[in-house]
Amino acid sequence: MRPLPRFRVHRPESLEEALELLATLEKAKPIAGGTDLIPLMREVKVDVKHLIDLSRIEELNFIREEGGYIRIGATTTLSDLVESELIASKAPALWEAAASMGSPQIRNRGTIGGNLCNASPAADLGPPLLALEAEAEIRSLDESRCIPIGEVFAGPKVNSLAEDELLTEVRFKTPPQGAGSAFEKIGRRKAVTLALVNAAAYIEVEDKTCRVARLALGAVADRPMRLGEAEEMLRGKELSEELIEEVSALCSKLVRPIDDIRASAWYRREMSRVLSRRVLLKAWRRCKA
Amino acid sequence: MLRFKLNGEWIECEAEHNETLLDLLREKLGIKSVKRGCNVGECGACTVLLDGRPVNSCLLLAPLVEGRSVETLEGLRDKPIMRELIEAFVEDGAIQCGFCTPGMLISAYSLLSRNPKPSEEEVRRAIAGNLCRCTGYVNIVKAILDASERLRSED
Ligand SMILES: Cc1cc2nc3c(=O)[nH]c(=O)nc-3n(C[C@H](O)[C@H](O)[C@H](O)COP(=O)(O)OP(=O)(O)OC[C@H]3O[C@@H](n4cnc5c(N)ncnc54)[C@H](O)[C@@H]3O)c2cc1C
Ligand code: FES
Ligand code: FES
Repeated sequence: MRPLPRFRVHRPESLEEALELLATLEKAKPIAGGTDLIPLMREVKVDVKHLIDLSRIEELNFIREEGGYIRIGATTTLSDLVESELIASKAPALWEAAASMGSPQIRNRGTIGGNLCNASPAADLGPPLLALEAEAEIRSLDESRCIPIGEVFAGPKVNSLAEDELLTEVRFKTPPQGAGSAFEKIGRRKAVTLALVNAAAYIEVEDKTCRVARLALGAVADRPMRLGEAEEMLRGKELSEELIEEVSALCSKLVRPIDDIRASAWYRREMSRVLSRRVLLKAWRRCKA
Repeated sequence: MLRFKLNGEWIECEAEHNETLLDLLREKLGIKSVKRGCNVGECGACTVLLDGRPVNSCLLLAPLVEGRSVETLEGLRDKPIMRELIEAFVEDGAIQCGFCTPGMLISAYSLLSRNPKPSEEEVRRAIAGNLCRCTGYVNIVKAILDASERLRSED
């Protein structure tokens, strides 16, 4: 295990100040909870001279509903998500994903922004936010842009942000009455483990017909992915267990998993079918409730 | 100079920018209940309370605790909930080598402070970030449930 590199820690109190530090300091990197970054620096050489701590920036720490959107600040912790009535009632897929992550200690420090920017293919908040069609607000000193959540991921453990940019907010349309969403994952132990496969679904049903169906899986490709073909098979149909079974079987063919030390590609395909079925059934049940 | 509240008292000390709270507590401040196991957030032996919530001190850079409150077993041992927990851990055989015990006690303390009547499942979730290589957890879960029961029968 390596000693931590010799960096300086900066603790700005405003977003403006943080963006300025990122723009002017060389080899600077943001740190939120540090639950990905600190272990990473102990494992491999990370070339960093300055860490910009985001934890004192109050304008990045919020969960609120506004203008038909649920908006979540980047430094919102996983525990904040789990303790939010709004998230529990309106976005159960996101709630279940946050509740499944790490341990209480990790959830008390780890943030939504860190989970996304770390860009692990297995990031547990990836599938639910894809299923909710969330977008991310990305800011630099002189620019602000909004991108679909999937575009934060550029490849395994690589995000698409420039070095002087910060992810400031995640937002998605407040799901209407009668919508349902769900998350499931398979890991090797119950807690403190990255998912071998994770999945989330979002469904809207009207007069028995499925109006909106979204399905996303993680750890089955180089980044979390939507399963558009599977979604199409559900849209406009009357849902049934048989149909969901059929769609889930297709999912195991749509994914592009790799063999690695944690699981084989074959196993990940099989689990894609199992989890797709589970989250679709659960999301559908929640529409009816 | 780093200023933070340690076990209820404001202290000032020198800390390196790339030093973790775990190193600061153990090497400079003589707080030895906080253990170094894995050093990467997986075992929970280094658990402390930060503003009342359990966190892994091996993942927390020391400069980040400026102005905040850190509590360890040294400061919590005389609180009624902790006294009851320690007694139950001893009586129920929840301690073998004892390496995981301080971290385990902090997680249990945090649980009982928020939820005086946890279910067995809630106890297991609360200590999911604390590994024990010796006991197999059964007696630890039992001790936490026993402590919660005794605390309730005292009021
Ligand atoms: C024991 C353990 C268990 C874990 N279990 C899980 C799990 O079950 N599921 C899971 O998905 N993850 C898990 N993780 C990984 C990690 O805890 C989460 O990904 C967490 O959400 C990361 O957030 P953070 O704030 O700690 O990130 P940090 O470590 O602070 O940052 C991660 C990366 O993102 C960058 N960054 C952070 N915030 C921003 C921002 N706002 N804008 C731009 N860049 C930013 C940092 O520079 C860094 O590169 C686990 C980690 C550990 C150590
Ligand atoms: S030493 Fe911190 S979690 Fe293991
Ligand atoms: S008693 Fe030995 S690790 Fe728990």
